[in-house]
Amino acid sequence: MADYGDNILPKHAIYRGPSSTAAVYIGLLIVAKILRGVGLFLAYDLLKLIPVVLFLFVLKAGATIPLVLLQKPFSSGKPITKNQWFRITRHAFVGCILGVLWMFGLSLCGPLRTILLYEHSDILVIAWGSTLFTNSGASPAKIRGAVCFLVAVIALLLFDHDEKLDNLSDHDSDHRHHNILTYMFYHVINIVGWSDHKGGVVLLFLTLCLNVGYNSAAKKLSVDVGGAKRLHSLSSLIQAMILGPWAYIVSSASDSQVSWISMIFPLALIILFVFIFDYYIEAVSVVHIQATKTAEYGAYAMFGGALFLALTWNHPYTATMTSMNKLQEIITEDHVLSAGVVFSLGAFVLATKILLGPVRSNKGNFIGYSMDGMPMYSFTRDALQQTSQSLVMHLKHSLKQVLEDNDSRKIFYFLCINLCFTFVEMIYGVWTNSLGLISDGFHMLFDCSALVMGLYAAMMTRWKATRIFSYGFDRVEVLSGFVNGLFLVVIAIFVFSESLHRLAEPPEIDTNRLLAVSVIGLLVNMIGIFAFRGSHGHSHGGGHGHSHGGGHGHQTSHHQSHNTNMEGVFLHVLADTLGSVGVIISSLLIENFGWNIADPICSLFIATMILLSVFPLLKETSCILLLRCPSDMENDISEALNKVLNLEGIVSYRDPHFWFHTSSKVFGTLHIHISPDGVEQKLISQVSAILKDGGLHSVTVQVEKDEYFQHLSGLGANLDQNSTNFPLLNFDKSNSVKAV
Amino acid sequence: MLPLHKHDKEYRGPGLIGKITGWMRLIFSEKTSRNIFMFLLLNLSFAFVELSYGIWTNSLGLISDSFHMFFDCTALLAGLAASVISRWRSNENYSYGFVRAEVLAGFVNGLFLLFIGFFIFSEAVERLVEPPEVRHERLFLVSVGGFLVNLIGIFAFQHGHNHSHGGGGDHGHSHGGHGHSHGLGFEENNHKDHGHSHGGDHGHSHDSHGHSHEPKQNASQKQIMQGVFLHILADTLGSVGVIISSGLIHYFGWMVADPVCSMFIAILITISVLPLLRDSIGILMQRTPRELDDLLPGCYQRVSQLEGVYSVQEPHFWTLCSEVYIGTIKLEVSAKADSKYILSQTHSIFLQAGVKQLYVQIDHAMM
Repeated sequence: MADYGDNILPKHAIYRGPSSTAAVYIGLLIVAKILRGVGLFLAYDLLKLIPVVLFLFVLKAGATIPLVLLQKPFSSGKPITKNQWFRITRHAFVGCILGVLWMFGLSLCGPLRTILLYEHSDILVIAWGSTLFTNSGASPAKIRGAVCFLVAVIALLLFDHDEKLDNLSDHDSDHRHHNILTYMFYHVINIVGWSDHKGGVVLLFLTLCLNVGYNSAAKKLSVDVGGAKRLHSLSSLIQAMILGPWAYIVSSASDSQVSWISMIFPLALIILFVFIFDYYIEAVSVVHIQATKTAEYGAYAMFGGALFLALTWNHPYTATMTSMNKLQEIITEDHVLSAGVVFSLGAFVLATKILLGPVRSNKGNFIGYSMDGMPMYSFTRDALQQTSQSLVMHLKHSLKQVLEDNDSRKIFYFLCINLCFTFVEMIYGVWTNSLGLISDGFHMLFDCSALVMGLYAAMMTRWKATRIFSYGFDRVEVLSGFVNGLFLVVIAIFVFSESLHRLAEPPEIDTNRLLAVSVIGLLVNMIGIFAFRGSHGHSHGGGHGHSHGGGHGHQTSHHQSHNTNMEGVFLHVLADTLGSVGVIISSLLIENFGWNIADPICSLFIATMILLSVFPLLKETSCILLLRCPSDMENDISEALNKVLNLEGIVSYRDPHFWFHTSSKVFGTLHIHISPDGVEQKLISQVSAILKDGGLHSVTVQVEKDEYFQHLSGLGANLDQNSTNFPLLNFDKSNSVKAV
Repeated sequence: MLPLHKHDKEYRGPGLIGKITGWMRLIFSEKTSRNIFMFLLLNLSFAFVELSYGIWTNSLGLISDSFHMFFDCTALLAGLAASVISRWRSNENYSYGFVRAEVLAGFVNGLFLLFIGFFIFSEAVERLVEPPEVRHERLFLVSVGGFLVNLIGIFAFQHGHNHSHGGGGDHGHSHGGHGHSHGLGFEENNHKDHGHSHGGDHGHSHDSHGHSHEPKQNASQKQIMQGVFLHILADTLGSVGVIISSGLIHYFGWMVADPVCSMFIAILITISVLPLLRDSIGILMQRTPRELDDLLPGCYQRVSQLEGVYSVQEPHFWTLCSEVYIGTIKLEVSAKADSKYILSQTHSIFLQAGVKQLYVQIDHAMM
């Protein structure tokens, strides 16, 4: 650090804006990446003719020649020791295996999916891994990016229906089983029950992770050897040597009559695009633009190009172009572009953007260098307060928090039961291929979102008050009750309207299996009802300590306090139970008597029940949200106010505002007008004591004397405005004093 | 010593007719509610035309679409109700009046939109997996009609938008719109035309809070208005999307255009609704107003620099409805401090920051 002079900073510390040279490199990079995509598409076509290992050997051998010519690893640089040769060989060996896996994945999944899965830069994958599994670098944005990445992979795995390929692979899978690797692979895939390309997706994803580890492990070696490029050329030479014998065995075993002449041109293109051009351009770009930028733009170009190619590859025009290579007989339509692929492409792009984006406010803002040359950061509030945690740690913490409290624990257990049931249902549905069961499972998953919200709200109520939320987060409970209520109303209305539809024209209902599912659903929901009923009943006794805090002890009010959040969840479960009961009754009726009309009538009845049961909750929560004065405390409060008036020295009061903060806490504010000789402090404490006896939790009392009014009337229209905005409350006319 | 309070008799006429005329007067007395009401009528008439045409031509798709529009109208109705309710006078139970009804209505409408967006999205995903046959004969006409209604909504409310800076509360709810009808539950039928952009509309009356008594409407309001306007725009884009997708399906047979368009619409809706939800949740949870975030620390400092003030305790500031802030604060002052001076100074300091209603409790330190 001391080496740096006055203002000489390390190069990468200075932000250089996009200059014209950077634009040139970005353009080059984009071209190189798109060409690499073309190469991969070509490679996929060729792979249908040539076995994987043989193909890879040809590629490696072909790539070695220009690499060795360009780098001259033997004639230039320092000599390589025996130990280093050993390490290079090891490196090459692992590289071989990864290469074979990669090509194998390519032949399984097709070029577009391979590009989506495999063409991620090391930085991206490392950022992803460190966000998920370590403590460093886990800001909320990064976590979002990491989740996005996962979603993309899962979408590729689950939502990608590549039926054409499935059909295709049935035909040629028998002649592909010609080496141990593929045989093992197909065996595993068969056990799991995936189709080929899904297995390929998993394979490619694992290979990607391995490859990143391999590249980072190779960094030290490349320093020892004298440059990454030298290592690359040497390693690819050795890889070609390793693959040689294997390829020979494979080619002699298989009786492929391939005309190699016609393939020379495409093979040369692949070698050039995939191995040479891309490698050098990327190396140059990393030097001239930042590594993260290189990775980001490269990924965008790659994905965009791949999407474009996938759309046009089988188009007649492209076909005529590729037919120059006499390859048209292998161009068959497979690997259709499904929606899942497009979706996961979008998710990958988003993940790339977020994960490679600048780290904000995580480590503070860099503001400059100190006198000693050490970098200085200004820590923002967030950075100091939020200790960054990895996702795993975060989950552990919140789980502990959930289990601490009675309410949230109940919700959590019930949620777990519900989720288990849902998954069993869905798996069974997928297994028996019953659409009804699957859609019912999705429905239950949706229902679970209400539970999740309740759980989150129950946790949030226990957060400490912050500077921003100065009253704490108790109100979340009310809000969550309100939202749950609304949810139920929407559901009830839809059930209602749909049953009207069905009343008009009753559809045929398939009752087999429906009965069993709804009975199990009923049992699950019954558990929930009993669990929540307990807390529901208890709450009147004043249990559920968390929302009261200490204040409960000296609270003498009789107003019913209950937890609206729990009530919302309870109602939701109740509605579900009613639903299953209705389904059971109606399916019994349909089965035994053939009354198809029983189903809509039952649903009508249930919808009405749900609506009726939800209205009290909605009314209560919306009253709280509208800052209503608690109805059952009206008498207490007016009594208390009378007592206040009777205190010695008090002339009048004005602007009394009392409102429900949560269903159990009442806050209030009050102005009192005292006589000139009144003792302020004594009066304040007396008034607050009286009001707290009346059941209030927090009171603010403003004491005013005559001079204050005169002063304010001199200041201007402040109080006037107040009184017009919010007309004074006249509890008792004689006591209310107009401001001026 | 029974408490007396006066009921707001003038707004609740005794008879049914009196009541209705009272309501109408209330609605027409102000621009926001008038706009909403007009737009509601427009929407309803569109829905009725659609319904009767559907019954006449016996097209199930049109009928279910019109029912959907009726459902959408309820959101508009909610906005209207809220804008009327928010002008009720305060009474002893609701000591702050009903101004928060607007925030609540905004919140409810936002939630609705979120649900709708979610449903559209899930359905679009479902359809991406297996694109259904979409019948587009009448769909195109309906969506063009919906688009026109939407445009009217946009212009009406954009107009209001500009005005609002002039101090009218205005415009509550958005535009029309977009019909996401699909979704929620009516299965088959409306899948066919999921576009229906007819002018559905949810009205967000939120933020508007049209009290004309609020003299200053400034930058913050503008931001909220912008959000609402963006939302309208998103809805109109939705109709445009339907038109485009039905065109694509018609001419090129790209069945995938339909789910992709609806996904796009769903994402737009969700994005446009998030700021609204965030704001209204903040208000409902008694968050310290965002606009005061920067001002308050300075105010505390100035207050604590007043002569005799030792410390500022338990400061609570919150938003009653947009632009009306309420605060309570406790000051610890020395035994012989001039409480009158401190009180009036504190009031004026916070008044400058925009807090109109302030409760200051002065505690004299016992020393």
